[in-house]
Amino acid sequence: MAKINPPGFPIERGKIHEFANSIEDDNPLFHDLEAAKTAGLPSVPAPPTFTATAAHFSGPEEGSAIQSLGLDLRFVLHGGQELEYVRPVFAGDVLTSRQGETKSFVKEGRRGGKMKIFEMHSEFVDQNGEVVIKMVNTVLQTGGVVKDD
Amino acid sequence: MTDNVFNSISEGDEYSFVVENFNRTQFVKYAGAGGDFNPIHHDQTFAEAAGLPTVFGMGMLTSGMLGRVLTDWFGATSVKKYGFRFKQRLWPGDVVTFKGVVAKVYDESGTKHVDVNLSAVNQNGDVLVEGTGTCRPWSA
Repeated sequence: MAKINPPGFPIERGKIHEFANSIEDDNPLFHDLEAAKTAGLPSVPAPPTFTATAAHFSGPEEGSAIQSLGLDLRFVLHGGQELEYVRPVFAGDVLTSRQGETKSFVKEGRRGGKMKIFEMHSEFVDQNGEVVIKMVNTVLQTGGVVKDD
Repeated sequence: MTDNVFNSISEGDEYSFVVENFNRTQFVKYAGAGGDFNPIHHDQTFAEAAGLPTVFGMGMLTSGMLGRVLTDWFGATSVKKYGFRFKQRLWPGDVVTFKGVVAKVYDESGTKHVDVNLSAVNQNGDVLVEGTGTCRPWSA
């Protein structure tokens, strides 16, 4: 399937509205430009995990970031994420994702034997070249198929 | 409105809400909004072929809702840090309690900061996602 990506990661009011609805967030600031302006904000802010929507704009190079680690995708799990916000992100911002270092270590798993853990560091930079969000994504590779307890 | 919450907040204060009866349509809505089209979250045939009873929700859907504890409580632009770890899967029919408990209130650079312990727990008491957040007032 063809997927065409514009440059950067544009933060849009309609997308924020849709994303807030998908997490059942009815805070008017995420939906209503007038409410945001009345609150003294430049535009509608993005909810904290809105950066997940960057998946809509990621090209093949991001997909291969995981594959280049040599992971067996059958056994890969998303372990979690640490986000640090230098400032809130608003509709109208255009972000660019910058991949940083990846740290890896091995741990005994609670289930499924040994786990290899990868901490993938990245940053989102705004249209002025300022870092606005720092992110650490944790990806786990288990020794075998993982089952719920 | 939300700035005032920082003046009255104390360690041990709690905020929570419940989302009843998760369904597959919510997973599909999040797939479209968030961009996660892994079929394991929307395609019953694919999920069964992978040995699962049915599709399960994205961890990022659960953590997205858990982030609402911070923005509902302290304001849409208050979040300075948010970290979360996925522990168990979210299944259709789950009833999930999203909760925050204030761990610490302190001043940093003359600004009130609040650290919050976060959890999303299902009807069986299983922790689906656990996390921590830090909030402070922010103005443009």
